Amino acid sequence: MDWSIHVSNAAEIRGALNAFEQGASERESKVAPVVELAWRLIEEYFDAVRFTRCAYGNEFCEHLIPSPQRLEEALTAASERDIKLTFLTPYVSEAGIESLRPLFETLSENGDGEVVFNDWGVLNLLRREFPRLKPVQGRLMNKSLRDPRVTGVYAASDAPAPALVSLRRSNLDCASYTGFLSGLGVDSVEVDNLPQGVDLGFAGGGVKAIAYLPFGFISTSRICMAAGIHYDKRDKFQPGAPCHHECQTHLLEYAYTNTPFGNRDQKFYLKGNSYFYVHTEAMLRVLFEQARSGLIDRMVFQPRLPMMWERG
Amino acid sequence: MKVLAPISSYDELEMLAESGAEELYCGVVPREWLDRYTGAVWLNRRSPKGGSLETLSELRQLVDGAHRLGVPVFLTLNAPYYTAEQMSWVMELARRLDGEAGVDALIVTDINLLMQLSQAKLNAALHVSSVAATLNTEAIRFLLQFGPSRVILPRSLTVLEIEKIVDAVRDEVEIEVFMLNDGCAFEEGFCSTTHHHTVGAFCTNLSEMDADFERSGGRELTRRQNSRLRRNLTDYREWIWYVNGNGCGSTPNGLPYGPCGLCAIHDFKRIGVASLKIVGREASPFKKLASVRMVRAIVDQARAGAEKLVTIERAKSLRGDREHCDSGYMCYYKVDA
Repeated sequence: MDWSIHVSNAAEIRGALNAFEQGASERESKVAPVVELAWRLIEEYFDAVRFTRCAYGNEFCEHLIPSPQRLEEALTAASERDIKLTFLTPYVSEAGIESLRPLFETLSENGDGEVVFNDWGVLNLLRREFPRLKPVQGRLMNKSLRDPRVTGVYAASDAPAPALVSLRRSNLDCASYTGFLSGLGVDSVEVDNLPQGVDLGFAGGGVKAIAYLPFGFISTSRICMAAGIHYDKRDKFQPGAPCHHECQTHLLEYAYTNTPFGNRDQKFYLKGNSYFYVHTEAMLRVLFEQARSGLIDRMVFQPRLPMMWERG
Repeated sequence: MKVLAPISSYDELEMLAESGAEELYCGVVPREWLDRYTGAVWLNRRSPKGGSLETLSELRQLVDGAHRLGVPVFLTLNAPYYTAEQMSWVMELARRLDGEAGVDALIVTDINLLMQLSQAKLNAALHVSSVAATLNTEAIRFLLQFGPSRVILPRSLTVLEIEKIVDAVRDEVEIEVFMLNDGCAFEEGFCSTTHHHTVGAFCTNLSEMDADFERSGGRELTRRQNSRLRRNLTDYREWIWYVNGNGCGSTPNGLPYGPCGLCAIHDFKRIGVASLKIVGREASPFKKLASVRMVRAIVDQARAGAEKLVTIERAKSLRGDREHCDSGYMCYYKVDA
């Protein structure tokens, strides 16, 4: 199994590729405890892991797509360090497609790089114009329910087996779909570690599973709360509105104080346009057992909420 | 450009058609599905008890009645995904919806289902649901391999973005857009939450939770920064209230508040949008009726050649009270007059 780490910039690739070092600047953050927990458990299960790949880019917001210059710097740093780079892309509007095109040109000139797509349009562009690049299905294309308010409750209750089985799977359960992906040259798919548990049974059928930790995504939007800060009230919260990367300055923690189930200690995090849940120790242990049994081809460690952006 | 209305019962057919609905869509959730998967797993994007018909014979009656009035009926099979076990069952259901009930189109999200339906060669056309999140022309071109006759665009696209898409694909596929009722704070196709009645929608649920800002890196916010972020959060929660149909409200004469695209109808007619979708299969018959009348009033004006400003003025005056329109938070689309 390979290990990948999500980096913000070329300097991080050149630095110590170590989960603690990467997250050092955010050690006081509200999400730091889960990063530390995950790292401790990784050491417990896998000893000292070595990152042989880095993930660079963004899965959730087209305003956080890096510039060609920054991508080139990241590619150079990865090459110097002799590690592979996976480029993450978000769901996109027409403008987003145009932002990605020069980046794919750069990647394509650089070799046969790997691109995570979270939009069928991005896959279409890759296949038509950049056949050298290897597409990987992103986790946003996996439609399993990830509602931590209830899915953990479903898993712990007497939910009927067919319902729970369904909630732990996705259309990756269907050979017709994995066959379709294979026909498109997609042999790896990303997944989140679900609060209700994730069934990775599909991984035996020729499609490799890539899992993220220790954050899972809940929801995302083209309408960004943070971007509203600089607008007059009437003009706030519009899709397609210009963005000044306000999301980089703060995050918002929600406490599930109004739960009907008693899981009041649950927290959700909003960073920019996307909401995330954090993995519990039990969820991490289940994931690592799945990894040990060979169901996971790669783990992607994210030492901070995956909404980084670098000016330039 | 057609007016597309939701319907959940044969009893609503005559009033909706007479009021101006030119296309209808509905859902059906047979009891077998409920018995096996309970209310936790939805066959389509509505709660099993929220606005779907229960039997194919009810659906057949509805479709036959609509066809007598010259109105096509589309049916939602738009869950984000189906597992292998579910797929066999859904494909069998789709064949019966096509053969026995005679629906005119199936509205589909899961690309795997779309692929299988395209291979099944049914009489029913295929519409790509907004839940498929086709936000750009490239995505539509990718999905065209499965032969859909229509793509429903997500509500988060701007008029300009819609125009570019329609311009690019107008000879290949119809485009449908959202027009009235029911917002979504998130990108619907990338929202992994449930609207199950035990917890409600995540977006509205968040508005009732304790929230705490943190400056990046875990540092403390200044009082001024915190105050600014808090004010923005308050505005956002107000916007969520509008997204949620102004708290599910209506005018004193029963016209629905909530997300609205009436001011963009003139633009959509010019652009060549094929259909305007009214949301709310689960809504009361009265709300459906009022919604159809509102949309049809502006569509008729645009069809009669009224100037754009005239249609916008009429759209804003329909509900009587312009306060909510003027908030800027009730619009699906920002329209330049």
